[in-house]
Amino acid sequence: MADHTVQESNDPEKQGKPEFLLPVEDEGELRKLLVPDPENLPATPSSAVETNFVSYFAPDFTKPGHDQYVYRHANGLCVVGLAPGHLAFKDEGGITAVDFNVGKSDRSGMKVTGKRKKNAQHFESNTAICKVNTKADSYIVRCCVKGSLLEVNDRLIKQPGLLNSSADREGYVAIMMPRPADWLKVKASLMSGEEYAKLREVRVLN
Amino acid sequence: MSGETEAVSLSGTPTTAELAAVSNEEETRILSDAIRSLPPQAVKDLLNSEVCIACILRLFGFREHFHFRSSISSSMLHSVLGESEHLEHYGILAGSKSGEELEVQQIVCRMCLGILQYLYRNDKGILVQKLSADGLAASIDEMIKQDGHEIDGFSLELSVPPVLLEHDNAVWSYMKKRYGQEVGIAEETSKCVSVKDALKLAITYPIENMLDVKSSSIPSSFRIRLTYSQTKPSSSMAKSPGETNGSCKRRKTADVNGVPVRSSNFSGDQKSSEPCNFPLEKVNEPYYLALVCCRTPIYIGGRYLKFSRNVSQTRWIIDDERKGESSVEEIIGSSILPACQGDSYKFHAAGREDIDVRMLGSGRPFMVEVQNARRVPSEAIIKETETKINSLEEKLVAVKNLKLEVNNGWGLMHEGESEKQKQYCSLVWISRTLEDEDVQTITASKDMKVLQRTPIRVLHRRSPLEREKIIHWMKVERVAGSSQYFLLHLCTQAGTYIKEFVHGDFGRTNPSIGSILGCRAEILQLDVTDVKMDGF
Repeated sequence: MADHTVQESNDPEKQGKPEFLLPVEDEGELRKLLVPDPENLPATPSSAVETNFVSYFAPDFTKPGHDQYVYRHANGLCVVGLAPGHLAFKDEGGITAVDFNVGKSDRSGMKVTGKRKKNAQHFESNTAICKVNTKADSYIVRCCVKGSLLEVNDRLIKQPGLLNSSADREGYVAIMMPRPADWLKVKASLMSGEEYAKLREVRVLN
Repeated sequence: MSGETEAVSLSGTPTTAELAAVSNEEETRILSDAIRSLPPQAVKDLLNSEVCIACILRLFGFREHFHFRSSISSSMLHSVLGESEHLEHYGILAGSKSGEELEVQQIVCRMCLGILQYLYRNDKGILVQKLSADGLAASIDEMIKQDGHEIDGFSLELSVPPVLLEHDNAVWSYMKKRYGQEVGIAEETSKCVSVKDALKLAITYPIENMLDVKSSSIPSSFRIRLTYSQTKPSSSMAKSPGETNGSCKRRKTADVNGVPVRSSNFSGDQKSSEPCNFPLEKVNEPYYLALVCCRTPIYIGGRYLKFSRNVSQTRWIIDDERKGESSVEEIIGSSILPACQGDSYKFHAAGREDIDVRMLGSGRPFMVEVQNARRVPSEAIIKETETKINSLEEKLVAVKNLKLEVNNGWGLMHEGESEKQKQYCSLVWISRTLEDEDVQTITASKDMKVLQRTPIRVLHRRSPLEREKIIHWMKVERVAGSSQYFLLHLCTQAGTYIKEFVHGDFGRTNPSIGSILGCRAEILQLDVTDVKMDGF
């Protein structure tokens, strides 16, 4: 284990400062670099999702009211999930259960390995990923994007409530990896956050 | 008979003094004695089948004679052998003292194919005949000076075609069969000195003398490589191998102080069942000689700091467009390369940080590997280079503790990346007011385990795995004038993704600052403040 160079500050009176010295001879210089100017801080900064992803929406995907989102990262990976206008949220009590056992296999059982993403299954955009249940009904959630399914959010099995509280973050459904050509094709049929917000009269992006 | 009868004892490496002490006359006398000690018919046999004097001597194990600068002239041979015919013929094979003219077309020795006659084709295909080892040393000296190398030592590497060992075998077998009863050859194993060993003995001292350096017992980073081959070397071989993989790879030489180890892959009796093909085939063409003088990579290391949030660590170009303003690699490398006058460089560091993350505090250990440096920079020059980098106008990068690395520190770089703890300072925003309890909660946790699924931002090129990492400690520093912003100082295990630990990466990093505080957390900026590694 490397040494942990913690030294006692020679001025313990300084309020709110950690009692350790940063590991340089001129700690003061380093502190000047680190401490931000409060004037320059926005009241609400943009989120990691806003900064790193471009948001797309697919209202009424294969069925009316089945609104889904696709957040696309600069590296081409797509996070898919339920958009705010989805019918499931309107049911009383919201979403109560999530089941990945759809179609021919249990989507939560697959194991993708390696940099080349071996064993990832290739799906069409309308392939089912999971089923979400409310007290009243159940709804199929689909890939939305043609490509390899890299990961499903298996946390939803034990915590289906994540969909109710934060469908756009912790409640994501799956991660897809489309080929560049396939992405271009599907992109044409998706709409921007702005357009979706107008359409459904909801707020999107925190 | 071996050389035990000489007046001067030449066991082991002769020192300069010893060599100087043996005058030309002495040398000639010793050489003559050596020839005289052999069965004359055997010598004539060999000469008639176009074997040069050097090969005759080495065939019978006369090792130390290769240090000699003189040679046997045709007239001397005449007196030794008492023959009058084929004088010129013998003379040509004997080589000549400086001053003697060579008028006749060279006969290429069938055993060494011209190597020990200093006869070869150069990289342009032109036939070259050096009068002695000094001539070859002079060519080497010229090449080194032309390339601008500054050296204080060298390692000699010789490569000859393996067929020469077969020649030695064949001739030795014949000698044993035909002259075995006569003195010296009745033994089982051959005493034959290989062409490679003989050449090394012959040219080491002349090169040392010409370059005014020693071929020391400590392998030098400067390599002088002589490669003899049948075919013309391709142009990539003849060039200084700065651009080839691993340029000037450290090759194992049989010895480094001029005393060769007996060629172990030569066993005179190995092919006793085979017919002796003596005399050997006539040789019309000597070998091609590729002469390469270059330095093995040298390493300059230190720690770097990165002050810019728009500079990547290594050159980053996608679709012909550069990402970021510059790179740490280029800023540092472009100053070190000229200081060493090298061909090219490679940049290695103990881990890396994102383009938008600053590297502050003690700095990150790094090493620049320089290919074919023309000079090994002195301490003064290195200090100068450090100052130069730190005085650049744009102040994007700085370096500390710049020094020449003796060991190549590979292990350290990898260790630093995968084992050493790192310390960070991040600017964090949360979606509610930061309470004192929150500060307590965060500060109280020690060695907290975190499970991180491969962050989405790197998932396209890394394996999807769940990695357990440890956050050793955390400290909260409130930002004056704000209730939702604070500075988070933390010390973590190598390989921890800090940004994801703050914002949670869709809940795929657990716990995260957000999950600990029960709200949304975002990271605005990140700085590395320490890479805990000794020795750099």
